Amino acid sequence: MWKQPYFVIGFAILAFFLIGSFAYEWFWGNVPRQVRFIMENGRAVEGAPISPQWAYPFGTDQFGFDMLGKLMIGAKYTIIAALAVAALRMLIAVPLGYMLGTYLQRHRSWVSGLADSLHYIPLTVFASFLLTPVLWMPEGGFTNTIWERIAIQVVVMALLTVPIVAVLVGSEAAILYQKEYIEASRILGASRLRIIRKHLIPHMREKLAVLYGQQVMETFIVLAHLGLLNLFLGGTKVSRDPMFGDPPMSISFEWSGLFGSSFRYLHGAPWMPLSPVLFIALSILAVSFMMEGYLRSKNPKVKKRSLSAKKEEVVNWNRSQLREKMVQVKDLHDM
Amino acid sequence: MKLLLKFIFSIIGILLVSGLPILLSGLLGGELQLAEYFRTISAVLESMWPVQDISVFNYRIQKEMPVFPNILEYISYSLQILFLALGAAVFFALTFTVLTMLLGERARDRVKMVLYFLESLPDLLIIMLAQLAVIFFLEQTGILISSIAVTGANRIYWLPVSCLALLPMIQLYRLCMLTFQEEERQMYVELARSLGFSKTFIILVHMFRNAVISVFFQSKKTVWFMLSNLFVLELMFNLPGIMLFLRDNMMPQIFILTIFSFFLPIFFLYSIGEWFFLRRLRGKEVL
Repeated sequence: MWKQPYFVIGFAILAFFLIGSFAYEWFWGNVPRQVRFIMENGRAVEGAPISPQWAYPFGTDQFGFDMLGKLMIGAKYTIIAALAVAALRMLIAVPLGYMLGTYLQRHRSWVSGLADSLHYIPLTVFASFLLTPVLWMPEGGFTNTIWERIAIQVVVMALLTVPIVAVLVGSEAAILYQKEYIEASRILGASRLRIIRKHLIPHMREKLAVLYGQQVMETFIVLAHLGLLNLFLGGTKVSRDPMFGDPPMSISFEWSGLFGSSFRYLHGAPWMPLSPVLFIALSILAVSFMMEGYLRSKNPKVKKRSLSAKKEEVVNWNRSQLREKMVQVKDLHDM
Repeated sequence: MKLLLKFIFSIIGILLVSGLPILLSGLLGGELQLAEYFRTISAVLESMWPVQDISVFNYRIQKEMPVFPNILEYISYSLQILFLALGAAVFFALTFTVLTMLLGERARDRVKMVLYFLESLPDLLIIMLAQLAVIFFLEQTGILISSIAVTGANRIYWLPVSCLALLPMIQLYRLCMLTFQEEERQMYVELARSLGFSKTFIILVHMFRNAVISVFFQSKKTVWFMLSNLFVLELMFNLPGIMLFLRDNMMPQIFILTIFSFFLPIFFLYSIGEWFFLRRLRGKEVL
């Protein structure tokens, strides 16, 4: 796995974001540097938001906070949340799926019919429908802490597609149950738990890993979509001042909030919404690199075998060579 | 019969989901309010009944407005965008698949790799880049290719449709490539090749017919993915569609109406397709 360049590149990107995020906070605290304007020869050249340049690779926001700093501080929330959502979802859905495939074979059709209905509900709409009461700051402030809200959001987002994933795992398991070797081990007296442990899990390990990667990617996208709806990770700070209300703000610097609260500036200062989305895209790309690398490390010979099968040596003999060989064969027979 | 059962279970599932916020807020308070949950669902159902009477509060004119028949216009616009994009995605995915299948092994792998990583671009980035590109083009040349937001009565089609179609197209393309390559290993392809048919003919006539069926059965997930994208698209282009309407009126009744407006056409599309393909498949696995 560690020898696959794709896996290493993907892992390096994610590790860079995570370690960089903690290191940034360790060194410079959790407030990014702020510049109100850039001076050149004693004159102010550019005020906030400052466009991207060498000192500020991703520019600054409308208050002069460095975008790169904000993005780095926020990286840990978004990435850990996405990984946690997908992990929790798999932890719940995979045992459920096995149970569905093993013990509830007869009920599989109606359970999958029920889960199928989720395929008509756009995931983002579903998530926002459920999370609005949790994340939108009520009149008079939140009553729970930010960590409680993040935990609730992670659990809710994990549960959203548990039925779909469970049915998927269940039908995979059901296909495996029809295999002869599983029937053989069942005849030999293996219990259902043993079949799951010794046959189903090892057999589906790669599929489950790919499924996990897909869930992480999906979670990143849903988080970004929720950001567009002003539902940020860990809650949205809403200013209820009718005159000087601030726009809805994210409480942490996580990426969906950075994107959602700055989307209005797309035409004036495109770097403000674009850079968080770019970082999200990079993370998704990193995950898909890791998946590709993992798959290649698990079945590395597939490609080579298919190529080598085609290169069968064709022996070209001309007429005299052929006769020579034939004579040899004939001699062999005669002897 | 089986379809009817599936239909009923899907409807039950959607109804169960529509009451979930109550259950969730109950759980946050620390108690499981199952009775309350079912009461809400039945209340929502009752309030749905004379469908003409559902109304929402309109902030702009500070008045209760009946949902029907205005909502039909939103629904039709959303569905038009969705199905135009789906059609475009299917068409281009199949075209590109056939073209890639005609290439050699090495080039095919490279094309697949590039598109595979393109797939991981978030839809938001694509929409934003498209909007910025239109503006940039306008500033440079003074030609407005397409307006980037809906204002008033004029509706825009091709820019949102192409934004919406891009990612599903790549997904479908990957699906198609997998199926076509699977199909290529089948015996009948070898037979056709040994009979002297050209590669193009085999791909277009023999493999195409078999692969399309398998792609059709796997494409449901792509449509689901498109629904999420449609939501974001309507928000970012300010399209007067059903999703934007739902965002402004997050009520269980509107939620159910919105879901049904997608559920019915997509369900019928898939049911008809399933019926059609299964009927043709029966008895002859390979065409």
